Amino acid sequence: MIQEFQFSASDFEKDEPKELMLLSIISQSFFQPFSIEDNLLVILTALTSGSGVGFNRAMLFRASGEILRGELWLGPKSAEEANSIWEVLSTPGIGYIEIIEHNRALLRREADSLNKRIKALAYSLDREPLSIPALPAAKREVVWVKGAWAEPLVDKSFLNILNVDEFLCVPLFSGDEILGEVILDNAITRRPIEHKDVKLASLCGLMAGNYMYSTTLQKKVVEMERMAALGEMAMFVMHQLRNPLAAIGGFTDQLLDSTNDAVRTRRNLDIIRKEIKRLEDVLFKLSPFLKMDLRKPISFELPPVVQAVLQSTNIQLKREGIQVDVEVENGLPEILGDPTYFGEALRNLLDNALEATPRGGRVSLRAGRGEKNGVVLSIQDTGPGLPEAIKEKIFEPFLSTKEKSMGVGLFYVKRVMDACGGRIEVESEPGKGTLFRLFFRSRDGRRENG
Amino acid sequence: MKKLLIVEDEEALCLLYKEELSREGYDVTTAHDAEQALEMLGREHFDLIITDIRMPGRDGVELITEIMGLRKDVPIIINTAYQSYREDFMTWAADAYVVKSSSLDELKAKIKELMSR
Repeated sequence: MIQEFQFSASDFEKDEPKELMLLSIISQSFFQPFSIEDNLLVILTALTSGSGVGFNRAMLFRASGEILRGELWLGPKSAEEANSIWEVLSTPGIGYIEIIEHNRALLRREADSLNKRIKALAYSLDREPLSIPALPAAKREVVWVKGAWAEPLVDKSFLNILNVDEFLCVPLFSGDEILGEVILDNAITRRPIEHKDVKLASLCGLMAGNYMYSTTLQKKVVEMERMAALGEMAMFVMHQLRNPLAAIGGFTDQLLDSTNDAVRTRRNLDIIRKEIKRLEDVLFKLSPFLKMDLRKPISFELPPVVQAVLQSTNIQLKREGIQVDVEVENGLPEILGDPTYFGEALRNLLDNALEATPRGGRVSLRAGRGEKNGVVLSIQDTGPGLPEAIKEKIFEPFLSTKEKSMGVGLFYVKRVMDACGGRIEVESEPGKGTLFRLFFRSRDGRRENG
Repeated sequence: MKKLLIVEDEEALCLLYKEELSREGYDVTTAHDAEQALEMLGREHFDLIITDIRMPGRDGVELITEIMGLRKDVPIIINTAYQSYREDFMTWAADAYVVKSSSLDELKAKIKELMSR
C-alpha cells in the first residue's frame, strides 16, 4: 500500500510546532512558480510570522558582484499587525497567491518610507574594514548583535534606520557564492533574541541561500536554452540563405561568360529572379520572430481570443465552404501565456487547418479542461493528413518552402507554447485529417500543485 | 570520363552543377533525394558522390551511412549550406566538406583533387 502526501501551509494545525510550519512554508516556497522576489518575501514572511517563534521584522539585502545592497524590509508596525500576519498564514485553505498578494500590499504601503531608505544602503563585500551588515555576508557567518549602539563594528547609518539594540544577521550563500543577507529583529515586542531563534534562523538562511543559488542557476540555464534556440534559428536562416545565393552566384557566373546564347541568358535571369524572391520570402517569414519578445506569461481568458481570431478577415475568407464547429466549455480557468502571441499562433493553426480542408469538409475547434486544471485547445481538420516523414519534422522551421501551407508557422506556434510552459501535440494519419492539441497551464493549476 | 553522382534537392542547384561540372569534363548524374541516389548506386558505378545534408525524407547523413554499409569504395564530398558540421563529417564520413557559396570554385577544386588521387 502506498500513501501519497502533498502538504500546504494550511495542513499544519495551529498547535503544531511553529518551527515545523516555518520550515514547511520556506521549503515549499522553493517549488512555487513565482518570481524569486516573491518567494523570498514568503520566506521573510515566514521568518517574521508570530511573536512567539518568529521575529518581528526582516530586512533583506541582496549581493550583486561585490556589493551588498538593501532591498526590502518586511514587518508589521505593531504587535497587533504581527499577529494579524500570523493569522493570515494560519487561515485554512490559504495558498501562496494569498500570501504573496498580502506581501505585495504590505510592500506597496511601505514603499514610500522604509524601503526607500533601505534601498539607499550599499556596502562593499571586499573592502576592509568590513562593517555590519557587510561582515556576516562576506564571512558567511551568522552574527548576533547585542548592544548595537555601543558596537563599533555596526555601521551607524544602518543602525539609525534599524533603530534597535539587538538584531541577528543571517548570511544567504551557497558554497562560495554570497547571495545576500537577512537582518532579523524584535523591534516591536522587544523580546530578547534566544539561542533557539538563532539556530532556526540560521537553518532558514541556509535553505534560502540554496534556493536563491539554484534559482539563479536555473535562470542561467533558461538563458542558455534561449541562446541555443537562437543558434538553431540562425543555422536554419543560414541554410535558407545559402541555397538561393549559391544558385544566384552560379548562374550569374554563367551569364558573365560570353558564350551564352539568348535562350540561356533568359533562362538564367529567370532562375536568378526566382531565387531572389525566395530570399525575400525568407526575410518575410522571419519577421514574426524578430518581433517576438518572450515576456513572462500572464493570466488571460481563452474564449475572447478564440472569438477574435475566428472573426478576423483572413479566417472569415478562408472558411467559406468549410463547416467550422466551435465548442468552448463554460467556466474555463484563465490560462497562462501571452494573448497576442497566442492569437497569432491560433491564427496560424486555423489557417493551416482551413487550407488543408477541402470545400465541404469540417474544422472543429474545442476548448476544455485538461490535466492539472489546465486547458486543452484542439483543432481538428478533415484534410488529407500528414505523411509520417513530415509529421516528425512538422515543428521544425522551414520544413518546406515549396508547399504553401508549411514554413515557419508551426515552429512559431511551438515557440509560443514553449514560452508559456505549455506544449503542442499533433495526431495525424494520411486520409484521416490532422489534430493539433495545445496544452495550457492555468494559474489555478499552479495552486493545485502547490 | 569520371562519373559523378550529385545528390541535391534544390532544382536550380542540380541544374547548375550538372552544367558546370559537365563543362569540366565529368559525366554528371543528379539525384533529388537519398532514395533516388541509392537506387542509382545500386545500378551503376560512380567515381565520386557529392551530397547535400538537409534534404526531404532521408537526409544526407542517412545516405552516407547506407553507402558505408554497402562498402562501396567511393569518395564523398559533402556540399552543404551548414558551416558547423565540418569537423563531424570529416572525421567519419566525408573526404571533403564544401560550404555552398556563390562561387563553384571550391567545389570544382575539391573534385579535381579527389579525382586525381
